[in-house]
Amino acid sequence: MNARSPNPGERRLTSVPPDGAVAVDPNDLLRRVARGDEAAFAAFYDHVAARVYGLVRRVLRDPAQAEEVAQEALVETWRTASRFDPAKGSATGWALTIAHRRAVDRVRSEQASSDRMRRVAVTDVPFDSVAEEAAAQIEYQQVRRCLGGLTALQREAIDLAYYQGHTYREVAELLDTALPTVKTRMRDALIRLRDCLGVSIG
Amino acid sequence: MTNVDIHTLAGAYALDALDDIERAAFTRHMADCESCTTEVAELRETTTRLAAASAVTPPARLRAQVLEQVSRTRQLSPPVPAPRTTATASRSRRWLAAAAAGVLIAGGAAGATYAIQDHRVRVAQSQASESEQIKQVLGASDAKVASGQIDGGNVVVVTSAALDKSVVVVKSLPTPGSQAYQLWMAFGGEARSIGVLPAGASSAIRLIPDTNGASAFMISREPPGGSATPTTVVGQLTMA
Repeated sequence: MNARSPNPGERRLTSVPPDGAVAVDPNDLLRRVARGDEAAFAAFYDHVAARVYGLVRRVLRDPAQAEEVAQEALVETWRTASRFDPAKGSATGWALTIAHRRAVDRVRSEQASSDRMRRVAVTDVPFDSVAEEAAAQIEYQQVRRCLGGLTALQREAIDLAYYQGHTYREVAELLDTALPTVKTRMRDALIRLRDCLGVSIG
Repeated sequence: MTNVDIHTLAGAYALDALDDIERAAFTRHMADCESCTTEVAELRETTTRLAAASAVTPPARLRAQVLEQVSRTRQLSPPVPAPRTTATASRSRRWLAAAAAGVLIAGGAAGATYAIQDHRVRVAQSQASESEQIKQVLGASDAKVASGQIDGGNVVVVTSAALDKSVVVVKSLPTPGSQAYQLWMAFGGEARSIGVLPAGASSAIRLIPDTNGASAFMISREPPGGSATPTTVVGQLTMA
């Protein structure tokens, strides 16, 4: 990946294991949430909040905006919980899909990307790690191994689109690569990752 | 873009890397393509694994804020066989109103995203208006998408050969001052006018009939009211 990709410093992984991590089935929690169970929602929040917030913050880069968008996305999971269909993916994935979409919508509604860049220097401050964050980081080790199996172009395309919220047209521009090439690289890359991670639905 | 081509957008779709129009076209494509739905679900699930890389504990107040807001937020009812919720209908109407006015609001990216997304929700058959035809083109299974940028603005042309129609979306072009933008399609060597925007207007959405055989889309700057032939062509898209 390019200079903005994840590196150990940026991820601030602690060596603390996810001690006492609660065994919850997020799909089950979300089914209860759909019936208006606020306690189940609180547990679901604890399961996904670090990933939701971290993803939104990574895309937006501004902690204050990230907090606002993460809140919108999490409340949206509560509001639309009855629409979750486990046949189409995991509850965690569903929440992250909502969060990512919200984040890129926010990015694209902001005209000045330079504005985003400027904020980085001012507000990119460290945060404390806790068990859930560490658990996600450990889970990410597998993803990172799989990312290593991609070509440089594939990795960069994924990074620019997913973590930085660019459209594939912008990615083509940034990588100085033909549009059809970027399109197919994105798809090929995700297919490779899917197979490497053993993701399957239904 | 052929059907096979639109399928290659699956990766970009899963990464949220499509613009609004393409997202709408792809969503419709998926509705008729079961294997696509499965593939996209798997690719989408794959992308969300990437989120583990950036997990960061949020400020503690976020939890309290979210739970507080949740306690006073009404949930959507589960989907039922005739899936038309009030919220969907009102968003669709908003989109239809915008389309009818011939303007896709510039800069309203988020609003447009949600409104256009609602295309996949079948809107009542009774609305057999221009807006309905626009949706048919955007959702056609043979929809081909051509798009480009002109001085910071976007032009997207979605064409269905089966429907013999195109939808042209012009968004946020530089203001033409007192002049007007005029839209053209090239048939062989001939440029046929397909509409003139009001003087000063820089955004529009138009349904264009009889577009089979067009080789290119062009946009030009003209005196108000337009010209018989293009004066200053500012952009061109090949529609091959």
